[in-house]
Amino acid sequence: MRIFGSKWLWFAVFAAVWTAAGYVLFAGGSTGRDTALVRAPERIVAAAPALTEILYALGLGERVVGVTTYSNYPPEAKDKRVIGTFWQPDIEAVVATRPDLVVTEAFDQQAHLAERLRRLGYCTLSVDVWSVAQLYEAIERIGAVTGKGAEAAALLARVQGNICHVSAQAKGERPKVLYVIQTDPLRVAGRQTFIDELIELAGGQNAMGPTVQKYPPIGAEQVIGSRPDVIIAPEMAGVQPEALKQYFARYQSVPAVANGRVYVIAGDTVSRLGPRIDEAVQTIAACLRLEAPGSD
Amino acid sequence: MREPLTMRLLLARLLPAAAVLCAVMLVCALVGTERVSLARAMGLADAGTGYDYEILFRIRLPRVVLAAIVGAALACSGAVLQALLRNPLADPYILGISSGAGLGTIIAVISGVQWTLLGRSPIAVFAFAGALGTVWLVWLIGRLTGRRQVTHLLLAGVVVNAFFSAMIMFLTSIANSSQVHATLFWLMGNIMEEDPLVLWISGGFVLSGIVALFFMAPSLNAVSFGEADARAMGVNTGLVQAGAFAVAALITAVAVSLSGLVGFAGLIVPHGVRLVFGPDHRQLLPLSSVMGAIFLVLADTLARMVVAPAQLPVGVVTALVGGPFFLVLLVRYSRRVDWLTR
Repeated sequence: MRIFGSKWLWFAVFAAVWTAAGYVLFAGGSTGRDTALVRAPERIVAAAPALTEILYALGLGERVVGVTTYSNYPPEAKDKRVIGTFWQPDIEAVVATRPDLVVTEAFDQQAHLAERLRRLGYCTLSVDVWSVAQLYEAIERIGAVTGKGAEAAALLARVQGNICHVSAQAKGERPKVLYVIQTDPLRVAGRQTFIDELIELAGGQNAMGPTVQKYPPIGAEQVIGSRPDVIIAPEMAGVQPEALKQYFARYQSVPAVANGRVYVIAGDTVSRLGPRIDEAVQTIAACLRLEAPGSD
Repeated sequence: MREPLTMRLLLARLLPAAAVLCAVMLVCALVGTERVSLARAMGLADAGTGYDYEILFRIRLPRVVLAAIVGAALACSGAVLQALLRNPLADPYILGISSGAGLGTIIAVISGVQWTLLGRSPIAVFAFAGALGTVWLVWLIGRLTGRRQVTHLLLAGVVVNAFFSAMIMFLTSIANSSQVHATLFWLMGNIMEEDPLVLWISGGFVLSGIVALFFMAPSLNAVSFGEADARAMGVNTGLVQAGAFAVAALITAVAVSLSGLVGFAGLIVPHGVRLVFGPDHRQLLPLSSVMGAIFLVLADTLARMVVAPAQLPVGVVTALVGGPFFLVLLVRYSRRVDWLTR
């Protein structure tokens, strides 16, 4: 019983002392300031490309001091300091920009970045941007926190006006749209996505029914069974228009394929839920209205 | 035949290694994507503000310390499991800790729970619980198959690992992309700065675990010869196995809850130390711990600098850097020792 002797007692005592010492030394570490208290921040970091777009659209471009790797719009944003990628932001780089406000998205990894920054005493603002309604809300909140409430209202009015305009033009039967996210394996946009909303706003309907996954991988059976009138893929799915047509060529019973209505559209506006969604809706609507093949 | 291990020899090896660890930690805290000056950071230290102070003492140092804690825990626990299972392929994750913790993590991410326990995020709590729960399950199955059979324990671990991995993959396939990403980075090992209190307590935990295992080292030496021999030498093998397993699993679970699944460190560091310094566990355990800490601190420093300003998961670096380094050691030293004993 040499192992389980009185040493365990000593361990217990040691652990208790150690833990107590830890609390004495480190308890009550600094907590972050509440975002609601910041007014008119001068140095803002945007932790996602869509957030960069929102800040620029609100006229805050001058005050943005840090963006993520793929923040490519507006083009000026590419000259800003990069603080890492959307998924792997570098907290040192964020701190090095000396921000007085860091805007992040609200899901796990981005929220974790915000939490770590708050622990260091930085002001953060986390917004959910999953659906069109949340996007509008995010624009309003960012506007309110940065003292650009009027600009936010104007931006929302313009975007919503443009979208209403497109929606109003849609008439007749709503064409069924299969929105391809990637081809190998084939994955498409399901019902609980903002792309589904964009399709609806553009006057179409999602060819996919309700699914467990947001972006379900599907097989040949579902492609045929969903009978899409139009197939759309964003450029960033990495497919060329010809390759995409060839990929779907074997499904001749699918109306979209039979009528040559397989389109590849410019990626960023549609794949990114940001202040350019009116353009995204217009792009999708244009695909829905095109009757003749090969016009893209 | 090498010279017998004395306290003096042990200290002569351990103290320089510890000194190297301190030096490595200091240097690694000073390099990074942003240039900081130690002098300026110290000058502003009492103010508690300032750019250099913040990056050096509130971001980098906690991160370096975390890497050291995790590296020490994994390497020590790897050495213990290699001895207990008498299998050179054993590592801290072999009895299901990785998949159990991974499953806990993805459940935490998917269910979206937000509460925290003692300042730890739900991911850390679930990972810890998953890790310990799985080890307990594997241990239980191993006991059911017959208490003298290490092979059965190993098989139970491998199968439970495979089963839970399948569940992880199933959950990953139905999760949405942001959840998948969060889990993926965790599964590849993700070291970040932590709250000092968390570091202090987990550091103390790991340190006491290593000390406890050090006290079991003579019995581990006996057990690694084979159970029958150990019993003949008067060692209570059941007690040693249960105790060492429990402590190794605990410190691994702590490491995993801090950093995700940092692979490879727990496999190659003990082997490296064994190749160079010999298989005596009284020396192997403390030296592995220090070397593991050095190794992971270096790997993590590379991970945050190579593709800056983005960061690599540290598990990628441990395998990329550690693999070739280990092969060099293997070729250079393997003639001198047989695998586990002698």
